Amino acid sequence: MSSDVLRPEEGGGESVVATGQDSDKWLTAHNDPVAGLNTFSSCMALADLSADGEIKLIIADLGSGTHNMKLKVYKGTQLSSENTLIDMPTGVITFHMDTTEPQLPAVAVASGSYIYIYKNLRPYFKFTLPTLEVNPLEYDAWNQARDDLLDVSLLYEILDSLRHEVGECGLTTRSQRFLMCPDHQSQQNFLDQHKGFLLKRQTVVTAIATLKKSYAEEEAISCLVLGTESANVFILDPEAFTILNSVSLPSVAVFLSVFGLYDVEYRIIVACRNGHVYTLKRGVKVGRPTIELNSQAVGLVRRDKNIFVATMDRNLHCFSNKGKRLWTQQMDSVISCLELIEIKSLNLRLVAVALEDRRVLIFKDKYVVDTIHMEAPVSAMLFGRFGREDNTFILVMKGGGLHIKILRRKARFAADDSSGLGPAAATRLNVPKKTKLFVDQTMRERENSIQMHRVFQHDLYKLRLNTARQYVRALETSSNPVSITQTEPLKLSAQVLGLGPTFKIKVELQNTSASSPSLGLMVVFHADHHVYNVQNSVIQVPMLVPGVAHVVETLVNNVSELGVADTVKVLVVKENSTRPVLTALISMPVADTVS
Amino acid sequence: MGLFDKLAFSLGLKKREANILVVGLDNAGKSTVLNHFKPEDQRTSDVVPTVGYNVEKFKTKSVGLTAFDMSGQARYRNLWEAYYQDCQGIIFVVDSSERLRLVVAKEELDIMLEHPLIKPRRLPILFLANKMDLRDAISSVKVSAALGLDRLTDKPWHITACNAVTGDGLHEGIDWLSQMIKDAVDKNAQKL
Ligand SMILES: Nc1nc2c(ncn2[C@@H]2O[C@H](COP(=O)(O)OP(=O)(O)OP(=O)(O)O)[C@@H](O)[C@H]2O)c(=O)[nH]1
Ligand SMILES: [Mg+2]
Repeated sequence: MSSDVLRPEEGGGESVVATGQDSDKWLTAHNDPVAGLNTFSSCMALADLSADGEIKLIIADLGSGTHNMKLKVYKGTQLSSENTLIDMPTGVITFHMDTTEPQLPAVAVASGSYIYIYKNLRPYFKFTLPTLEVNPLEYDAWNQARDDLLDVSLLYEILDSLRHEVGECGLTTRSQRFLMCPDHQSQQNFLDQHKGFLLKRQTVVTAIATLKKSYAEEEAISCLVLGTESANVFILDPEAFTILNSVSLPSVAVFLSVFGLYDVEYRIIVACRNGHVYTLKRGVKVGRPTIELNSQAVGLVRRDKNIFVATMDRNLHCFSNKGKRLWTQQMDSVISCLELIEIKSLNLRLVAVALEDRRVLIFKDKYVVDTIHMEAPVSAMLFGRFGREDNTFILVMKGGGLHIKILRRKARFAADDSSGLGPAAATRLNVPKKTKLFVDQTMRERENSIQMHRVFQHDLYKLRLNTARQYVRALETSSNPVSITQTEPLKLSAQVLGLGPTFKIKVELQNTSASSPSLGLMVVFHADHHVYNVQNSVIQVPMLVPGVAHVVETLVNNVSELGVADTVKVLVVKENSTRPVLTALISMPVADTVS
Repeated sequence: MGLFDKLAFSLGLKKREANILVVGLDNAGKSTVLNHFKPEDQRTSDVVPTVGYNVEKFKTKSVGLTAFDMSGQARYRNLWEAYYQDCQGIIFVVDSSERLRLVVAKEELDIMLEHPLIKPRRLPILFLANKMDLRDAISSVKVSAALGLDRLTDKPWHITACNAVTGDGLHEGIDWLSQMIKDAVDKNAQKL
């Protein structure tokens, strides 16, 4: 597993505080508490269905879950058309499937193993998901059961062990149903009822999305992206309805977020039933694990470079596209759905979070910038251009109500710093862009790292060697102010007094030995006679008692006409010795010439 | 008003001139309304969404009007206030078939009425409940209720249902407005 998979720690994140009273940022355009809708965010779409500039709202209504399933179209506040759906819808999207004029968008309803395409609100085409290969063991088992070679309990056992082996979704729907039968009698009945039919393994659509094919324009042709119960993601060609690409995932897709172009480069972010989020790329046959959640996802939206995931454990997480967790906020209540609020006129992308406690929180990054209170818990949300209004927020309640809000033209969303999170966390460091030079340099450093290290080590050794050599030389010539010879342990310190041209040099000598005194020492001043005239160039030093400092001094006259400064060498010599005991080099200051 | 103008008016030598502002949401039919007041031969058959604003001049029985046809698109609505100062009357056009955005129309009306250049003045406002021919259209009474006009007590106002394409109902409205403007101009002239 790749290294940037991130597992959020238990119970991480701050708690969100409910702020203030109801929002003044929205106008209520329509409120029908008895619209009788039963739907989810994935089953709603907005599109200019008749290409007249007025955008319609398309809702796949789940009805009672078994009856009364309908495809409803709202024109403004009025229900303008209804189409009966045969099976439970799992998703609705609108897309352009051709470029013929007028450019009417088609509606695709995912339902069971089929995608129903509507054009002009009339059924146009039905796409059937490819049948899957039936597991040979399963196939044989059913065949034998049909020919009465296998009795019910044996069949159950074979299928049950097969289920453990290949997983629930590796079996046919018939086997799944059979395994769900609670007792011997019902299993027998089921077998009798179905054994005569051909065993087929079909999968159902669990999520649907669109992906623009070659152009990013609003009216450009889009491919369909389908997530299936067989843990696959298919990309369908919109014209021929062939499968352009198929990717298998470790788990079943629940939410899809798609961006990019099929022909160029795209990313499909898939939140799966196993609580993991995968990223699919162009030309890759497997999904890259991106995020590991510790609870199931209840909503997924992508904003700029961030992925927002709401989970069943009441957390809202924000991740980078790479899967790095940026923050987590815990809500006071269960999250039912998420929606991206993109306000183009303000260049803002917010995230709306609907909570079970009837509130809808609107997040700007990690800050709650608005709270909407509804009369009932929200089950589905959709934001976008509806009718002729850009910023319309459509909310469907758990009880079936339809509520439409319109953003006030003058509404602004400012992060409320008083919500306790502090402004410091919000300020981003303004990191300058990487220059080409920087990148080149980094590349070079990365490629030649070994060589560079060797050169560095080589230079370091050379430096050490040079230092050692100089040290040895210094010792040899005694050109250091502290003598370390055992015979004459001496310390010398010199001082220059005066402003010039006449200076006084004061030399302090100290015997640093424990007990032996120094005898017969002389201090010699040596300087360039063009620059300095030393008054007493040789001074006799009396016996030096250990520990007592002796001071010798002399006047030095700067005789240089140019007023340059030079050095004066102070040497401590011993009688009958060719080598000085100590040497000190004094850098003279520049003389203040009185001209 | 200068002495000459006053004299000219009373002698009927000079027509009274006034500026009116035509506002309302995009697609309400403002340009279509004004198109109808133009002489037959100058009318355009195809009204396109206005960008920014257009200026149209036309004459009514009592005054000559210069109409500022503002664009109703959200991104141009803050242009409206630039013309508040110099107008003597307002036409507020509402698409009475577009129930979804009646709240938005009300919101824009409220913003306008609260503006310091409008609030203290007794400007006559003509409301046109347009597109009454459409099936979804609601009556002018309902439009009036949706806009909360009962609370508009400090200005003379009038609402009429109309069809800007055929011109039905427009003349009743514009006659009312020009009468109001004429009265105001005359009253002003007497004051001087
Ligand atoms: N059926 C019907 N259509 C109308 C009526 N009045 C205007 N329209 C149509 O409404 C559309 C918009 O009219 P415009 O006059 O451009 O609207 P507008 O208010 O000027 O819009 P902006 O310039 O964008 O602010 C046009 O297609 C008109 O033909 C009417 O009374 N009935
Ligand atoms: Mg116009």
